[in-house]
Amino acid sequence: MNRRLFIASAAAGVAALGRPMPQGQDVPEAIRKLKPMTEGIQPITDEERHARIEKARRLMRQNKMDAVVMAGGSSLFYFTGSRAAEVLWVLPAAGAPVWVAPEPPESKLAGEARIWKDPALKYRTAAHALADRGGITRIGIEERVPFGVFDGLRHATAGTEYVSADAVTAGCRMIKSPAEIALMQRANDITIAAYKAAFATLREGMTQRELSANIAAAYRALGVNGGAMAIFGKYTAFPHGSIQPQQLREGDMVLIDDGCTVEGYQSDITRTTVFGKPTARQREVWEIEREAQDAALAAAQPGAACESVDAAARKVITDAGFGPGYKVPGLPHRTGHGIGLDGHEWTYLVKGNRTKIEPGMCFSDEPTIAIYGEFGVRLEDCMYITESGARMFTKQSPAIDQPFG
Amino acid sequence: MPQSNSTPDFAARLAKLQSAMKEFGLAAVVLEPGPAMLYLTGVRWGKSERTFAVVLPAKGGPVWVVPGFEEMRARELIRPGEEIRIWQEDESPYQRIVEGLHARGVTSGRVGIDEGARFFVFDGIRRLAPKLEYVSANAALRAAGVDLTQPAGRKR
Repeated sequence: MNRRLFIASAAAGVAALGRPMPQGQDVPEAIRKLKPMTEGIQPITDEERHARIEKARRLMRQNKMDAVVMAGGSSLFYFTGSRAAEVLWVLPAAGAPVWVAPEPPESKLAGEARIWKDPALKYRTAAHALADRGGITRIGIEERVPFGVFDGLRHATAGTEYVSADAVTAGCRMIKSPAEIALMQRANDITIAAYKAAFATLREGMTQRELSANIAAAYRALGVNGGAMAIFGKYTAFPHGSIQPQQLREGDMVLIDDGCTVEGYQSDITRTTVFGKPTARQREVWEIEREAQDAALAAAQPGAACESVDAAARKVITDAGFGPGYKVPGLPHRTGHGIGLDGHEWTYLVKGNRTKIEPGMCFSDEPTIAIYGEFGVRLEDCMYITESGARMFTKQSPAIDQPFG
Repeated sequence: MPQSNSTPDFAARLAKLQSAMKEFGLAAVVLEPGPAMLYLTGVRWGKSERTFAVVLPAKGGPVWVVPGFEEMRARELIRPGEEIRIWQEDESPYQRIVEGLHARGVTSGRVGIDEGARFFVFDGIRRLAPKLEYVSANAALRAAGVDLTQPAGRKR
């Protein structure tokens, strides 16, 4: 799971409501001792971005798109390195890209600039640029382009067909290069360091908000942006927690989930442990969960269908008497998601997804066992696919009372 | 009964939207989480790749489309009695949206889409219901009193 997208949302984000920021002497010792882990990070080079653009053009030709349009977000960052928001970026299958925005681009990869100052001219400027290129009649729209932007563009370009650009954008982004995997490795290492420090701050009576704040403070000390959802006790059965206030008590399950960002690349890790001595029941369910996580890891072989990884984890859980399917008590969601510049991105480890797993793909491996009214257990590590199988970025949790390997 | 100052009268807001929909010729409006959903229903939800949406028809009550495993969390926020259609992980949320439109008698005509909704949500709906006409919902939303200049929440 990745909770950062929910953090801005007060109703959903237990961590968001007036998060107390520990300062100075209030910062627990374990967090104060942390040092930045950002040294030696290698950002993605323009050369690599250029190669991405060339791959996108190949995929456009294969998928009969004359151009792809993006409007900010992680896909624009992926191809150009720009985080500009008010921009329409047109990447044609042939010829230079066009940057339609109120300001010129900082990146050389952005192509020819068409600047507008009057917002009323935004779509007409884009339409002129498309007309000047000529022969652009079928355009792919990046998946997260707002409907209003698409609507403005289609009104300015009568006769143009608009389709999903996923085959091009996801087609590129799903397969990670060694440079991307190195950035994700760093994000994962930092998250483990933050979680280790945060688990050292667990204390009787602490609220889930305080634990979330400690994790955020740990990330700041480690030199990155990050946060986490913390869930205690019976609320751990809800995969994204609950808005109910929670205070940590002896014997409670403790679940933390989310990650941080390094050069735009995300980590996403979940650990579940017990505050105090685990019961036999907690131990038993935890071990089934770990077995399910292992089964998904073993199944994530190049050439296997994505859905087979979900089936492998789900079988362990169903064989233990939970489920079946998405029924609770059991595993109410898919086993994993793609991860990269977005915490959740194409492609997914879910029933019905027959996409073949390829080297360079990265996924979360996170089968939850949710038992409403009791507790939930989720172990989540992310894996990257190599020619010879899946590798975890992080050491899996070895035991319920040992969150870190 | 007069509404207290602290609880907005969502029924009145919806009624106002429904008259605006008639004025602008919309059979329904589809909203993703954002300022319009918050103003019209009080529901605040983070956008993720898992579609969470509400169909507001010109006639009849809202239809919510919610990821299956989020049902409990969603019920903490959605007003009791409103229709909820869940989709499981291997099912199509767009199918549920189209079913919601059909359940309210919307099989032809114009459907307003929230301008903040992401292209993939619109694209998923139009593939399943290509005969409907999809237009911006903004004029109707503004007429209903939605302040669309509010930030739509964190973008991914």
